[in-house]
Amino acid sequence: MKIIILGAGQVGLSMAEILSRENNDVTLVDIDPGRLEGLQDHLDLRVIEGSASHPDVLEQAGGHDADLVLAVTNQDEVNMAACQIAYSLFRTPTKIARIRSTSYLSHPEIFCDKAIPIDVLISPEEIITQQVLRLIEYPGALQVVDFAGGRIQLIGLRAYFGGPLVGHQLGELRNHLPTAKTRVAAIYRQNQAIIPHGDTVIEPDDEVFFVAAHDDIREVMSELRLVEKPGNRIMLAGAGNIGLRLAQALEQSHYQVKLIESNRRRARQVAELLDETTVLHGNAADEELMTQENIENAEAFCSITNEDEANILSAMLAKRLGARRTMALVNRSAYVDLVETRMLDIAISPKIATVGILLAHIRRADTVAVHSLRRGAAEVIEIIAHGEPSSSRVVGQRIDQIQFPPGTTISAILRNEEVITARKDTVIEPEDHVIVFVIDKQHIPDVEKLFQVSVTYV
Amino acid sequence: MASTAQPDTVSHPTHHKALQGLLTADHIRYDIAISSKKRLLEELAGLLSQQRTALDKDTVCRTLTERERLGSTGIGGGIALPHGRLNGINECIAAAIRLKEPLGFDAPDEQPIGLAIALLVPADAAKQHLQILAELARLFHDAERRDKILKAPDTAGLVALLA
Repeated sequence: MKIIILGAGQVGLSMAEILSRENNDVTLVDIDPGRLEGLQDHLDLRVIEGSASHPDVLEQAGGHDADLVLAVTNQDEVNMAACQIAYSLFRTPTKIARIRSTSYLSHPEIFCDKAIPIDVLISPEEIITQQVLRLIEYPGALQVVDFAGGRIQLIGLRAYFGGPLVGHQLGELRNHLPTAKTRVAAIYRQNQAIIPHGDTVIEPDDEVFFVAAHDDIREVMSELRLVEKPGNRIMLAGAGNIGLRLAQALEQSHYQVKLIESNRRRARQVAELLDETTVLHGNAADEELMTQENIENAEAFCSITNEDEANILSAMLAKRLGARRTMALVNRSAYVDLVETRMLDIAISPKIATVGILLAHIRRADTVAVHSLRRGAAEVIEIIAHGEPSSSRVVGQRIDQIQFPPGTTISAILRNEEVITARKDTVIEPEDHVIVFVIDKQHIPDVEKLFQVSVTYV
Repeated sequence: MASTAQPDTVSHPTHHKALQGLLTADHIRYDIAISSKKRLLEELAGLLSQQRTALDKDTVCRTLTERERLGSTGIGGGIALPHGRLNGINECIAAAIRLKEPLGFDAPDEQPIGLAIALLVPADAAKQHLQILAELARLFHDAERRDKILKAPDTAGLVALLA
């Protein structure tokens, strides 16, 4: 695919890297030549220096030929203008833009061909907020991602002694929970992927990924670890946009929230916007303050300031002081790899969260959602099967007859709004939303090929 | 002008013309330079939409693009058959472009294409509409015939072979 990326900031650069590695034809535009310097030495892409929304710059970047424009400069207005111009001058088929301001985001009706033609909005702050909320909702989960509009979810968690299924064969899950719509998609033992079979025995400390209907999630989680009564005390550090949104959402779900903010004015400002939350002026790296505010009773501590280092340090401190689960917002990928599991529980990466939205629009076949797991090594995708047995390699086939690449499992199917557990004799029907777990991302192109319709499909 | 389609037609009287009457010289562009898949679909959308006043080029283009996403309409051997279903038409509409330079089209055989024949099918297509595409695809299975079509010297030659 021919892709123009506008803005070589954190998100723009990492997207350029991922997309050029996936064999796309990428052109990266930025107004600051310093940001573009040296990129071509290690990435297969083109760079253009100039104003991202200027017609001549867009044309030079290949506007006439581009299948997709991704506008991720640090200004909402530039991103909107660039999409408008790409539409007016080039009829670019897919226009994706990052929009941060809630003022724009609260009026989705302005984003249409007649007004501001943006096909997909990316709001990293909203994505992060939702991600943290889902993690808080399922105590013990290391990862929670939605499919089929939230009707199906994928959960990653660590198995512990005391979970009824731990030490037993996976096949017993069906005896324990005969009605649950669920399937274990992958197990990581000491960082090695194991393809699960009925006779695979779950060991303590295994990282288990399972897919289940939303209503069955808790039941399945309780098979893998002893369920303690979840507390409802949450401590947040950083009252920026994400902190404020989180506190608002958590208040509504009746959590007891404490929000620490180091800027006195901002602390006062958000205190007025929140009803139930206790807003504290102080520093989350202050051990005394944390102890005083009973961090040891916190169900979760989440640090979401603008600074990676501050987030990591305060989450480490919170963990040491006894918070049950600690999360930190971490922008730099090098840190994400470094800190997770050893120093704190979950590093939340805006980059990894955002890339999936983009990939869903770039992948072939009718891909609805893409989520990267295990720092990008594995992927779970939601993909719609179209066609007839004559024009599709999956429709009309039993799952065990489909020629899947190794390490690929169909975990669940959404058929006419109903969640179906995938078994080996399940036959794929047209328009099924199929959730596919791919342990090795390398095999994604083969999976896409399987789901592509042949030429006779109309 | 020099080439007449007549001898071909006569020498293959048994060959079924997949696009019987559907493809006329007005809706074929020959040996034009196109730089991308996106531009090709736009050009084809232009040729298709000009055949009916009710058709809007952008809508036609979107239809072709969306179908392409579900799976490439490249059939291998340098030929693609972009198509889609569309509201507001009662019969099929066809157009064709022969490219000056081969163009990457994500075909399953990874070969660039030299010829694209586009087809719009009514949204509530009946069997005979869908048959046209199937027949067209079948026609190109025959390497010899495919080669002849790819190398047709001009618009008239192409029309003679297909319609």
